[in-house]
Amino acid sequence: MTTTDIRPSGQPDEPEAPTNRPPSMHRVKMWLRRPYARGILVLTVVIGFLLLPLCWLLLAAMNQTGAPASPIMRDIEQTVFVFTLISIPITAFVFAVLVYSLLGWKHISGDEVPADQSPAIRSNTIGVVMWTAVSSLLAFFLVVWGLVELAQITANSYGTIPADEQPGDSQALIVNVTGQQWVWTFEYPQYDGITSETLYLAKDRPVYFNVTSKDVIHNFWAVELGVKIDANPGAITQTGVTPDKLGNFNVRCAELCGMHHAYMETGIQVLEKKDFNSWAREMGGGKTA
Amino acid sequence: MSAETHQPLSPTTGEPMTTIARRAKAGLWTLIVMDVSGTLALIISYTYLWSLNVNGGWAPPGASLTDAQTNAVPAKSSATFAADWPFWAIFGIVVLATIAMWFGYREGKRGNHAGLIVGAGAALLISIGGLVAQWMQISTFPFGAGNGAYASAVLLLCASNIFHFLMLIFLLTGIFNRARKGLINKSVYFQAQLMSYWMVWICIAFLLGALCTTFLQVSPNTDPAIFGTFQQQQ
Amino acid sequence: MSTATATANVFGSEVPQPAQHGQPGGIMRRLNFVTGLIGGLALATIAGVVTNILTPSGASTATFAPAAPDYVYLAVLLGWVIGFMAGMGAFVGPIRWLLGRDITHADAEYLAGKDLGWKRYWKFTTDHKVVGVQYLIMVMIILGFGGLLAMLIRTELGVTWAEVFSPSFYNSIIGTHGIAMIIGMIIVVMGPIANFIVPIMIGARDMAFPRLNALSLWLLVAATPCLISSLFQGGVQDGWSVYQPLASQGPPGMLGYQMTIIVFAFSTGVASVNLMVTTLTMRAKGMTWSRTPILVYGVFAAALMGLYAFPFYQYSQILAMSDRIFNTSFFDPLEGGSVWLYENLFWLLGHPEVYVIIIPSAAVLMEILPVFYRKPLFSFNFAVAGIVGVVALSGLVWAHHMYMTGWAPAVNYPFMLSTEMISIPVGFLVLVAIGTMWRGVVWTRLPVMAIYAVIFNKMIGGVTGIYLSDVPVDQYMHGSMFVVAHFHYMLMGAGLFGAMGGVAFYFSKMTGRMLDERAGSIGLWTAFVGFQITFGSMFVAGLQGQPRRVLQFDSLFNISNWISTIGAYIIGIGMLIFLGAIISSWMYGEKATSNPFGSKSLEWQTPTPVPLENFAVLPVVTEKPYDYGVPDPYQKELAAVDGDLDTQKVGSQS
Repeated sequence: MTTTDIRPSGQPDEPEAPTNRPPSMHRVKMWLRRPYARGILVLTVVIGFLLLPLCWLLLAAMNQTGAPASPIMRDIEQTVFVFTLISIPITAFVFAVLVYSLLGWKHISGDEVPADQSPAIRSNTIGVVMWTAVSSLLAFFLVVWGLVELAQITANSYGTIPADEQPGDSQALIVNVTGQQWVWTFEYPQYDGITSETLYLAKDRPVYFNVTSKDVIHNFWAVELGVKIDANPGAITQTGVTPDKLGNFNVRCAELCGMHHAYMETGIQVLEKKDFNSWAREMGGGKTA
Repeated sequence: MSAETHQPLSPTTGEPMTTIARRAKAGLWTLIVMDVSGTLALIISYTYLWSLNVNGGWAPPGASLTDAQTNAVPAKSSATFAADWPFWAIFGIVVLATIAMWFGYREGKRGNHAGLIVGAGAALLISIGGLVAQWMQISTFPFGAGNGAYASAVLLLCASNIFHFLMLIFLLTGIFNRARKGLINKSVYFQAQLMSYWMVWICIAFLLGALCTTFLQVSPNTDPAIFGTFQQQQ
Repeated sequence: MSTATATANVFGSEVPQPAQHGQPGGIMRRLNFVTGLIGGLALATIAGVVTNILTPSGASTATFAPAAPDYVYLAVLLGWVIGFMAGMGAFVGPIRWLLGRDITHADAEYLAGKDLGWKRYWKFTTDHKVVGVQYLIMVMIILGFGGLLAMLIRTELGVTWAEVFSPSFYNSIIGTHGIAMIIGMIIVVMGPIANFIVPIMIGARDMAFPRLNALSLWLLVAATPCLISSLFQGGVQDGWSVYQPLASQGPPGMLGYQMTIIVFAFSTGVASVNLMVTTLTMRAKGMTWSRTPILVYGVFAAALMGLYAFPFYQYSQILAMSDRIFNTSFFDPLEGGSVWLYENLFWLLGHPEVYVIIIPSAAVLMEILPVFYRKPLFSFNFAVAGIVGVVALSGLVWAHHMYMTGWAPAVNYPFMLSTEMISIPVGFLVLVAIGTMWRGVVWTRLPVMAIYAVIFNKMIGGVTGIYLSDVPVDQYMHGSMFVVAHFHYMLMGAGLFGAMGGVAFYFSKMTGRMLDERAGSIGLWTAFVGFQITFGSMFVAGLQGQPRRVLQFDSLFNISNWISTIGAYIIGIGMLIFLGAIISSWMYGEKATSNPFGSKSLEWQTPTPVPLENFAVLPVVTEKPYDYGVPDPYQKELAAVDGDLDTQKVGSQS
């Protein structure tokens, strides 16, 4: 006899033996039934959305003078965006607790010592474990993101090759940056050593900076390109970048270097490659690389 | 009523001297940590400057193996590295003083009061000798303070040694005097004990200095960058 | 051979005494602040004059400046410090020890200020409660000095159309503001609260080494004129980190800074020794580590970090001074010196120091929360873990201040890792705070309202710190006003406001009067609002690309700076109101009862004013701290649900 019945044959109907299992997620649902739990969660979401525009506002502040003008700067802005985004949940939650503790749970004022009314919670394993897990995961994510990004950026600069071992005829542009109180000087060793006080660069051509100082510590900051390195007396430091946007940008000194530190600024001009080459020729730099 | 114990009590707080001794020992450890950090600062300065050889200025001008292109000081100079043996001799003196003090502490703990006084007194005299020896070493160095980074680092290490010697002399005078007066005795000996521990640390501090000056003389960086330029020294 | 024949009644028992030399206190009877001043000024003058005579005319320093002002100023500073300490009687203790003239109980009581009335605040008094109050006064002076300089700085930055001060003076005031605030913040909790409250809180009569306690305070007092006088010797003309070799270009005022740090390092080192030994060895009977209040942990942690880290800073200044005076070349690159050496030595302290500032402030707030929410501190063990984690990692993150120096690009990776890691234990402390607030009925008094300000600021400071810890982002942010805003949010927003809450809390116990909370709240919240305006706008300036330590800048940054300056004046008004509340309450406030906040902690079980020996009988502790609160009403609900489920048996009928 065929049957569509899928129960084991021959057995009469019996209820399944009870396993005593509570409904799924019942503790979470119970917790959510508490008014403060829902209140704080709602507040967290609201505050989170209020904080969300920061992700774009921070970038807007950074971009007021033409940034981003290089892949590094784009990387930096992306990092700021992502870090802001993932910080918002925890920040919103903490702020929500602050708000709720003033508005949601009771408060008492006055001079009399109030009677104990609050629940004597000495600990809460779930809360502690969740907080540790979430903060560790976030920190781990931040670390991995940062390490990968840093590796990518340093892959783009020579790093530790000494200045006189760098190839003279490579595709890349080499600029020797000298900081001194209170002036930046840029030397182009590949172009007969022409010097300039404005930094001329070629669009889409990688540039490597060798930086030193003749007196005190300065800091070479190509603002919109997102590169920065100390100019140390007695040492040569390196950094590199590929500008990918035409325009005028800023070099500022970012390390206090004496009386006129505030005025130790100069300009960057990112030109098309052919315009850059003509500039170099005009300055007397015959040898092109 | 202090009827029950024969153990000595602190006159100011009434606590047993063993409690005071425990506290003082804890205090000594913290002071040692402080001095370790300070000594490490000097050792770090020495080793870091040795490794960098900034602008070729590590070695005293007359001892450079390479042409001192950048030093304003004329290359023909008689400044050289310091001799090794005085550092070890002074270290030896400190070790002797420590042994003497340790002997005194042990004897005092066993009840041999005369041994305590002799040990502390000997340690004091040896330390005074060490101070004199250190001063003589400094005044006969074949370089001056302005002769480069090695000279600077060695002079500060020796200045730290002088400071340690002065402290030792003060403390040992106190230990010696108090032992004579019976304030350090078989039942209350912790000050002699702590003094001995302190002196062991002092031995280590002197040892670190001697190791640096003996084994880290010529810098491994043989082609540092030339100051203000983008070239290396040849 | 001196056998003690006299005995004295020491807390109930007859204890044999050494010989009494003269009146109780001996020569200390005649030494006080006035003799200290006389000694300091006299020795300073003599040292200065003698040095002036001995310096050959025409002598010059390595930077071709005349050497005489340097040598004379240094001699004056040294003379001042040694003379002042001698005049205060700081050397009397060691000399008496050397001579074997131990102090008697009567001597100790005199030194502790027994029956001396108001005069004991002007002497080398060993009573920890006196030292705590003296520290409170010094803190207000130093923070006030720093605050005044801050107003000058913001005035200059707000007046964007002119230079109010010359560039060199401006560079001086930013550096002096920085170091004054740092010193003030290091001692703001560790000075008054750790000294006054902690010994009582652990059930002790005084600290482990009472004379060292007085020494640490008077060393601070000796160091302060060194810093203030530097402004009159050309100033520091460098940031508070006084990077070399710019510092060696500076005028003689730099020596004032160096001497301040060298002396201050001894002060904090000695205080650290004292605090650590006291908390380790003098807790009351029954006060196991799990029954020790969290403030003790916080204070111990800060003392430990200060102990191992401060000598690096101290030595960095000693070496800098040596470069200047003896022409050594630790930091002179022409002669083999390295700027990176300076930076490493400096930041080896420079980083743990911010935890020295922040941990005690957080610990005080964790003491306050249970009292005003009337519930136990949330997860005491987690709080301890957070503090321990911070201390453990504190020594491993310093080079994140040096990402952009190029000293060792390869180590940027591990330092980025350790820096991001340290945000985790700091986060533990935030969790403990909000966990304690959770479901709590808050008693809205001033000490606990500070918590809202602190946690708000700490979140902003913490998140912006995360940006800075990422090396590529730091390539944009380092050396800009973004960094300045970040550390002000942490050190001032979280640190100072927390300390203000702590001072408000312990005010009645320390001064015997109730703090005017209405005025104090107005001051605190005015300052809070001004703070958000000032430093929120400063973040914008930094993001726009304004470097730090500049007095003139691109017009792009004008608006952010105007807004910041307005905010700064609001901070100034708020802080003055708060200060006014403290001073007027101290002088005219209503007399305080012994436990106005109903705290169950030991220090509040003493009468106010606290008697000299703290406790007539030393207490015995039998319970965990923070024993507040009622059973959790939701536990019943949970138990009911669980109970219903549990009564159903499996597969069988009941």
